[in-house]
Amino acid sequence: MPFRYINRRRLFAGMLVSATGAPGLVHAARSAEAEAFVASEGQKVLALLGDRGLSEAARQSRLTASMDALADFNRISAFVLGRHARTLAPAQRQRFNQAFRAHVQRVFLKQLAAYRGSQLRVTGSTARSPTDAVINSLVRVGSTDEAVAWRVLGAPGALKVVDVQAKGVWLAITLQQDFVSTIDNARGDVEVLIRRLESGGKG
Amino acid sequence: MLLAAALVCAVATPVAAMASGAAGAGAPRDPLAPLNRVLFGFNAKVLDPFIVRPLTQGFEAVAPGVLRKGLRNALGNLREPATAANALLQGRPTVAAKATGRFLINSTVGVVGLFDVAGKGGIIREPADFGQTLGRWGVGEGPYIYVPVIGPTTLRDGLGGLIGYAADPVSQATGGLDTDFAIARSVIRGVEARSEADALLTSVMTDATDPYATVRGAYLQNRAAAVAAARGEALDLPAFDEPPPEEVN
Repeated sequence: MPFRYINRRRLFAGMLVSATGAPGLVHAARSAEAEAFVASEGQKVLALLGDRGLSEAARQSRLTASMDALADFNRISAFVLGRHARTLAPAQRQRFNQAFRAHVQRVFLKQLAAYRGSQLRVTGSTARSPTDAVINSLVRVGSTDEAVAWRVLGAPGALKVVDVQAKGVWLAITLQQDFVSTIDNARGDVEVLIRRLESGGKG
Repeated sequence: MLLAAALVCAVATPVAAMASGAAGAGAPRDPLAPLNRVLFGFNAKVLDPFIVRPLTQGFEAVAPGVLRKGLRNALGNLREPATAANALLQGRPTVAAKATGRFLINSTVGVVGLFDVAGKGGIIREPADFGQTLGRWGVGEGPYIYVPVIGPTTLRDGLGGLIGYAADPVSQATGGLDTDFAIARSVIRGVEARSEADALLTSVMTDATDPYATVRGAYLQNRAAAVAAARGEALDLPAFDEPPPEEVN
């Protein structure tokens, strides 16, 4: 990445543009189908978390099914490996996918407990391309609304969530940085990552 | 406006000369990684568990939840003048007006900021800081730096934080940075910030396979999102089916 210098002409030009109210705002089409998909499938997950009539085993089982309907685990598991994804043998890939899925369920379902009984309200979306949209929502937690964004990929009728953003942080991107760093520190040995995931984290 | 531009220009030019452009997702610029990792480990294994966290837990034990919520609101309210100033420097008059409105409403109807009356009325806080202002005008984030106790930052945001701290309108209006009020405000703000982050930090330290990389990634993303918001741009997201670039050191 080259060094970036700021010069006075660029600065004043930028401020002038801002002052006239056109600071490069993104005007992209909304994706109605992706909005409806997130509103429906996302709310199902939140409703399951808040259903006090379910046993813990039944809740886990239904959540797994709902998460599968909502998210594309195969695509996410390839993404989080970054450039190391292509180095895995098929058997190793299968083991990683299993360990990753268990890791996500353990970690994120624990974190999702904070959203038990919450209501999800879709507030808009940005269609980045015909098959890539970011859906904005507000999730009511207690007395406050938290902004949560969902990245949805796929053609109409085959939509899946591949990433979720909360507090300005995308989870799959963060996981990718975590996993790639772990593999890099192990000099490219993906087995180290798989063993850590199987043992529940740092290991 | 000219004064604002001159201020940004004076500060931004030397910083820009030192700092490089923002790295995209998957390519954090971390040339100080070996030192940063040592400092992160020292903080995680010594400073935080034996000093910072007990201090935070002690504060939580003696201060009732209602009082702490009021304090959080009041501390947030005292940041609104700086937010308004930075929003103006960023060329975002609507955000500046919102911050000013929040400060006026919460300082009066909200009893010196103890109650977020403006927030309940739909005027939600939109934070703005000087590091974000520098990013808004093209200053690159520079290398990632981990500072024990303080936490993650970058060259740009660290310098921006120091300048913002020194120039804070509330501190300037109340006698400077070395008054009992200013010191107490900083300490309580730090303790509250650590308290709020406790569940998240515990989860990262327990569940991440590389907590250092996770904290770094989350921090840099959060700041990139703040700068993108200040520019009125959508955050540049990676193509989902392409591998990330190599880490930049």
